[in-house]
Amino acid sequence: MKANDQQLGDLLSLKRHERPPEGYMEDFLREFHMRRREEAMQMGSRTGLWERFTAWLAEPGLAKWAYGAGVAYAAVLAVVVSLPKGQEVDQPSLQPVSHPVVEPLESAAPTQLDELDLRPSSEGKLGEQEF
Amino acid sequence: MPDDTPRPDPDADLVQRAREGDTRAFDQLILKYGDKLYGLIYNMTSNKEDTHDLLQDVFARAYHSLPKFKGRSTFYTWIYQIAINMTLNFLKKRKRRSGLSLNDMESSVQQDPALVESGWESDPERRTNLHELQKRLNEAMQHLSESHRTVVTLFDVQGLPHGEIAEILKVSVGTVRSRLHYAHQQLQTYLQDFWEQRF
Repeated sequence: MKANDQQLGDLLSLKRHERPPEGYMEDFLREFHMRRREEAMQMGSRTGLWERFTAWLAEPGLAKWAYGAGVAYAAVLAVVVSLPKGQEVDQPSLQPVSHPVVEPLESAAPTQLDELDLRPSSEGKLGEQEF
Repeated sequence: MPDDTPRPDPDADLVQRAREGDTRAFDQLILKYGDKLYGLIYNMTSNKEDTHDLLQDVFARAYHSLPKFKGRSTFYTWIYQIAINMTLNFLKKRKRRSGLSLNDMESSVQQDPALVESGWESDPERRTNLHELQKRLNEAMQHLSESHRTVVTLFDVQGLPHGEIAEILKVSVGTVRSRLHYAHQQLQTYLQDFWEQRF
């Protein structure tokens, strides 16, 4: 058996009587004010720092500009030095390789070599070496 | 045809004073809506610490956003919108972070004195049943999707009319009604076993 709509509605309406504990809202309000004060103090210190910085910038004098420029130069230098440097590798240029196939010349047919005379020198005059 | 003229805001004077820097006026708004918003957030999160922190954040957001509040809706609708948006965002983050176990949920119900006088306390067995039922009801609520839990909380628990819920959630009245119908069916199913045992 299921609760019907009316019974479910009655049951859910009991939750209307759920309340935070007694005195909760007063404590809540105190905490709310405390948080706002802390927030204001943090904002105050942040704006205080900014105001001091802008006041310092507004002061006349050349030395601070030189000092500021030096700091800026050092910062830029630090960034440049700290940048990772990769090794440069020369990529071989890709060129098509062509090996032309040379057609054998018909006219250059192998010539018949003279037969080598391997007979001992004693057998004939042709094998003798004269010095 | 719907009437587009804005309703007079009963809090217009307090809001104006708060905008001009009168912190006491804002305190009065906190005291006026604190309890209701506590109930709304608690029924959405089922966790007291989360409810407390969220409620602080909701009022802080409202306090800082007051200069941007143009008065196109009532302060009451506006702060409910802030509370619901912040609670839904919080629930999404919490779900991503770990997922809430049903064991983490609480059922710290403070009975209204009128209810105590209406006979519950004189019947301890029935009172125990009621507490158990409310615990089961909280669990069942957590089984609903966030959009369904929101409409049930606003309509059944907070007693807001359909039109106001539609305005707060920026959806049509028809959508509110259909979400409610589906959510009630879900709740009836979740509570069926318990209902059969006890009643």
